[in-house]
Amino acid sequence: MSGFTRFGDQNPVGETYEVDPAGFEASLDAYRDEAGRTSADAINEGRPPEEDERQRIIVPPGDSVYVMGRQFTWGGLPVALEAGREYDIHLGARDVQHGFSIRPEQSLSQQINLQIFPDTEWVVPMTFEDPDEYHVICNEFCGAGHATMSGSLFVVDADEYDTVVGN
Amino acid sequence: MLATLSGLFENDYDDEGFRTCSVTGLEIHRSAEVHVKLFGLTAVIALIVGGVFALTVALTRWEVIGLVGEFDGYYRHLSMHAWNILIFWMVFMEIAILYVGGSMVLGRRLPFTSLAKVGYVLMLAGALGINYFIWTLSGGSDAPLLTAYVPLDVPPGFYASSIVFLLGATVAALPFLLTLWYEKRGNWSATLPLVTFGAFATFIIAVQAILGGLVAFSYALVWQVGLIDSINTGIYRQLYWIIGHGSQQINLLAMITVWYFLTHVVGGAVVVSEKISRSAFILYLFFINLGAAHHLMVDPGLSVEWRIFNTSYAFYGAALASMIHAFAIPAGLEAGRRQRGLGGGLFGWLTSAPWRNPIFASTIFSIIMFGFLGGISGVLMGQLQLNMTWHNTYATVGHFHATVALGTTLAFMGLVFFVIKTMFQRNFISDRLALLVPYGYSAAMGIAVLVMMYVGILFGVPRRTSEVVSNIPGSDFSLSAAEPLFWLIGPMTVLAVLVGVVFVLVAVGSLLLGSRTDSDDDRELLPDGGLRPDGGESVHAVEMRGTFTLCLIFMATFVAMYVLNWFLLTQLWEIGA
Repeated sequence: MSGFTRFGDQNPVGETYEVDPAGFEASLDAYRDEAGRTSADAINEGRPPEEDERQRIIVPPGDSVYVMGRQFTWGGLPVALEAGREYDIHLGARDVQHGFSIRPEQSLSQQINLQIFPDTEWVVPMTFEDPDEYHVICNEFCGAGHATMSGSLFVVDADEYDTVVGN
Repeated sequence: MLATLSGLFENDYDDEGFRTCSVTGLEIHRSAEVHVKLFGLTAVIALIVGGVFALTVALTRWEVIGLVGEFDGYYRHLSMHAWNILIFWMVFMEIAILYVGGSMVLGRRLPFTSLAKVGYVLMLAGALGINYFIWTLSGGSDAPLLTAYVPLDVPPGFYASSIVFLLGATVAALPFLLTLWYEKRGNWSATLPLVTFGAFATFIIAVQAILGGLVAFSYALVWQVGLIDSINTGIYRQLYWIIGHGSQQINLLAMITVWYFLTHVVGGAVVVSEKISRSAFILYLFFINLGAAHHLMVDPGLSVEWRIFNTSYAFYGAALASMIHAFAIPAGLEAGRRQRGLGGGLFGWLTSAPWRNPIFASTIFSIIMFGFLGGISGVLMGQLQLNMTWHNTYATVGHFHATVALGTTLAFMGLVFFVIKTMFQRNFISDRLALLVPYGYSAAMGIAVLVMMYVGILFGVPRRTSEVVSNIPGSDFSLSAAEPLFWLIGPMTVLAVLVGVVFVLVAVGSLLLGSRTDSDDDRELLPDGGLRPDGGESVHAVEMRGTFTLCLIFMATFVAMYVLNWFLLTQLWEIGA
């Protein structure tokens, strides 16, 4: 276990910061304002998004990605990420505890789970290798409505990424 | 009716209130026996309530049926199931076990019975309060589930009731401590019997757990009523898991104590090494509470060193203790039976054992299922990195159903049967139905638990949700690939509940309608040749190669599961700094 934190590639480890939930939401909003947008159709069809399609899917402006749990949606999702690039995933919550449970659609057994607090920002680096649509489910009970809380994360082949996000 | 009920608490005692148990040979005082019965019966009632909700929860998670909807109170059902089975059935039984391990084994009266009664009333009031506040949740409030995580809006009355229950359990445990005090006061150098020693270790672990629980629930309560403005999520979780996991460690120690007791009485087991078994209990005292940190493995804000120290270096001390017991108890059974010449060959001692005795079968299945399913999965999920793939998935539910619902519940069912025979002195209304309980329950729960772990790890099915497999409301995505496996989990959990119903029917039916036992019935409970070994070879001269073989099989299973889990983990994308 200890050795794996040094030579292993999968560790639930990252910087943490005390934040107040409103402050974390402000960071998310600032990030969203700076971010671009694309669409699922553009990603699936491997083409640039039309201007009127640039709506739902967030294109991070840099290496930071913000994901915020809130009863009963995921702020910051859906998002389009480039395969093979290391992102800092900033995890936090607006109200109560949530669970960040993520897996690629094509391979359900590749799944991990991280706990999310409303008073802590957790920055966990991740590098997704396989292009796919990854699905995030809340896996900590967060009130009646919890079962409806899901979101997605598109990982796009590095060769296509700039095209489909319209850079 | 009242006469029948009060009749349950009567036996033939001598002028000083003692009687000699014709099965165990123990000198039993009326004061201890009536309280064991009182707490035991209340535990069974909690099991019935929790069992009803086991059915509604199982029929919801089997999404083909989807009995209780997300907004129709599913989380209230889940909370009722958790508290009544995981806490009330367990803790009421454990107080009874303390009185058995203390007063009964030592042949003393139960001192300060008023404390036992006050404790009982507080526990009952707390339990009723918790059930009330869960069931009457109004629109704006959140169901607590087992954990009552802040900052969910859980009613203050719920936290207050939890505090009352925990205080009650502390008061109810005091007569046990006083029993030991009186026993040792006149005779400091004499050693306690192993079962009493195990009960004492259980008591210490319980005190640690309860203190943590009182602090956690008080912290949440003062926040909920507005005495403090904010509450720290991570600190609550750390405090909560002192009781959240600690309560399960009480179960573990109580269960192991029951294993030693029942394998001896109905199986003819001896204690292979008093020193080793006692050392294992002491290892628990030092290390097992630290292991509760495995609930916080994928929490933010905790250092890697803190997480690894608690769940590996410290926790291995506790895992070692469990493996010592897991060796010592079957070894004791093998040695005890070989000493009497019961069964030759590698496993003759085991195949010749009283498998038609439901008390024996419950105990042995409890040991096997707890070790293979609960123990192995517990060590795996306690690894810092593997925990990412286990945390809050259905595999976790599989783990604690293997430990508590299979291991501890089976052992306690065996103990209830034993108490019916020896303390209530009633025959079962049907021996066949009684025997169905350990076999049917182990088979159904065993399959359910294995498949729960499978869908959790390999399909990522989360726990604590009303629907997610066939359909995630508002999403095109679902985990429907796991759907066929719920055709195993669903029917098997329902079957397990039905066997639970049979258990209750046999237990309650025998109490009300069973014939009084006579000395022939008592002899049937005992292993061939009576309770004590016939002398002859000393224990260390007896072969234990059957147990050694079982341990090797256990180790091979453990290694295979360990390698498989780490392999799956390394197939993931890069995560973490």
